[in-house]
Amino acid sequence: MNDSNYFKTIWTASVNTLKGLYVTWRYLFKPAITVQYPEEKLAPYPAFRGTLLFDAKTCIACGLCAKACPSECITLESRKDGAGKRVPKPEWYALDLGKCNYCGLCEEACPTKPRSVWHSLDYEVAFSERSEMLRCWKSDTPFLGEIWDPKAKKLKKPKTHLQVQSVPARRMP
Amino acid sequence: MSETEKTPSSSAAKSAALLPEPVFTEGPWVLLPHRAWPTEMWASPWKLPRYRRGAMMLAGLLLLGTGAALLIGEIAPWADMLHARLMLAMATFGLPPPAVMCVWGALQIALLIGIFILAPVVIVWWERKISAHIQSRFGPMRTGGFHGWLQTAADGLKLLLKENITPQHADSWVHRLAPAVALVPALVAFAPVSFGQELSAADIDIGTLYIFAMTGVSVLGIMMAGWASANKYSLLGGLRSAAQLVSYELPRTFAVVPVLMFAGSLNLSQIVAAQQGYWGEGYGFALLPRWFIFYPVVGQLSFIIFLIASIAETNRTPFDIPEAESELVSGFHTEYSGIKFSLFFMAEYGAMLLSCLLMASFFLGGGSAPLPFLRFIPSWAWFLSKAVVLVFCFLWFRWTFPRMRVDRLMDFCWKFLLPWSFANIAFAGLYLLL
Repeated sequence: MNDSNYFKTIWTASVNTLKGLYVTWRYLFKPAITVQYPEEKLAPYPAFRGTLLFDAKTCIACGLCAKACPSECITLESRKDGAGKRVPKPEWYALDLGKCNYCGLCEEACPTKPRSVWHSLDYEVAFSERSEMLRCWKSDTPFLGEIWDPKAKKLKKPKTHLQVQSVPARRMP
Repeated sequence: MSETEKTPSSSAAKSAALLPEPVFTEGPWVLLPHRAWPTEMWASPWKLPRYRRGAMMLAGLLLLGTGAALLIGEIAPWADMLHARLMLAMATFGLPPPAVMCVWGALQIALLIGIFILAPVVIVWWERKISAHIQSRFGPMRTGGFHGWLQTAADGLKLLLKENITPQHADSWVHRLAPAVALVPALVAFAPVSFGQELSAADIDIGTLYIFAMTGVSVLGIMMAGWASANKYSLLGGLRSAAQLVSYELPRTFAVVPVLMFAGSLNLSQIVAAQQGYWGEGYGFALLPRWFIFYPVVGQLSFIIFLIASIAETNRTPFDIPEAESELVSGFHTEYSGIKFSLFFMAEYGAMLLSCLLMASFFLGGGSAPLPFLRFIPSWAWFLSKAVVLVFCFLWFRWTFPRMRVDRLMDFCWKFLLPWSFANIAFAGLYLLL
């Protein structure tokens, strides 16, 4: 505080103090930007690549998705009729979500309309066991697929560990 | 979708048009729009349901508080009846008057200690909420269901259960005594505070002096803690706090002198009584209450000096040099854990509440209503709401200003606040002469 502009210093200091207080006062009454996660969720953008979903009814078992996949997470086998001839339908289809790197190449490679394999908007892909990462589909399995339970030796629905937000949200025709 | 539609490529626009809007059907959660977050949300917050809910909740809390005050004001005569019954019963048992006084005093002390213990719990929760909302966060939201209102209680319980560590080289007795020495003066200083008309635990004539003497003692506890911790940062914190608290006690005390001059008494209830009434009452309308803060120049000056010095006295930002986290690893209570640490915490928040109560009774007219038609709300409710507003100011200042440098802190006290408080006393003398 110089002697020359003593009162000016006091004045500017007070004004700046009040300005600072006004800033915090304004922000106090702005809504908080926190998302209260399990109760509130942010909707992903439409182009978001979440968990892979699969439709066994439209699939023609061409295997392009398996070829396109850089991490080799897709395996499938086509169905055979009585004469041993291959039919354009999948016998089974399996996806290892533990290997999947969410690149979307399988979705791009899929020739059917609408796409038979596509990324949903689900970002809550969490597993408690490695075996749960493997998704299996048969002809009548829903989009989400089933998981193989190695202890019970049977397929079960993945519902305890995974919350699906929407099933057909981003399925390009 | 708007970003993709603006792109010149027609195929991109086509594919964007083919992309359906996300549909979310499952789950009990609220879905928040991604693109509106947070800029559009801030532009029009009232569109947000949870913002509307929050505003309604605040209004509801205010109404609830007023209603509760009125209700307790209705019930309050029961306490007088209880008091009379108690006196009568003890008289019939043949107890001597000092014994009766002891029982009644114990009840009052229990009430005050209850306030002293519960107030920090509420204020800490409130502080966490205020700080969070200033920083666009929510703060505690889970514990206790309603906006995390039990968070501080849970934290207190955790502190009680934690291990009580004494450093190996610590002066163990001083280390053990320090929290008590810091806490007890802050607790004892609550005695003469007049919470409303005829609502003070000890209506002593030298109330003001007593309070300042007692809050002065708590420096000793902080010094002891700094010394006994056998830690150079704690010692530095203790020394800084000694310098700071002793310095700021002077302007704080001198800022009250004009009030004492106008009121002509050191008794807190008499100071409050001197602020009853309104200016312009003689002309048939109430312009302003006769609070000391509304005395031109002198009142505002002494209020501001007292406010700043109180913030410094309670070791709060921007004057929290003794416990500067980034410089001194929280200073004098670095080596304290568990219940001892919580005692320091309680002492700090108790001192803060005390200075707010003091400001409310010195400058804001204690329990007097701001306008005559608001007199139906009981005096203690006015007093407490003024104190609550001041507590809010404390929290607000804490989360607005950065910490001051040590030498500037001392400069500010000795070269600015103290001369102005002297000048203020001179102004008050001029007022009384004219």
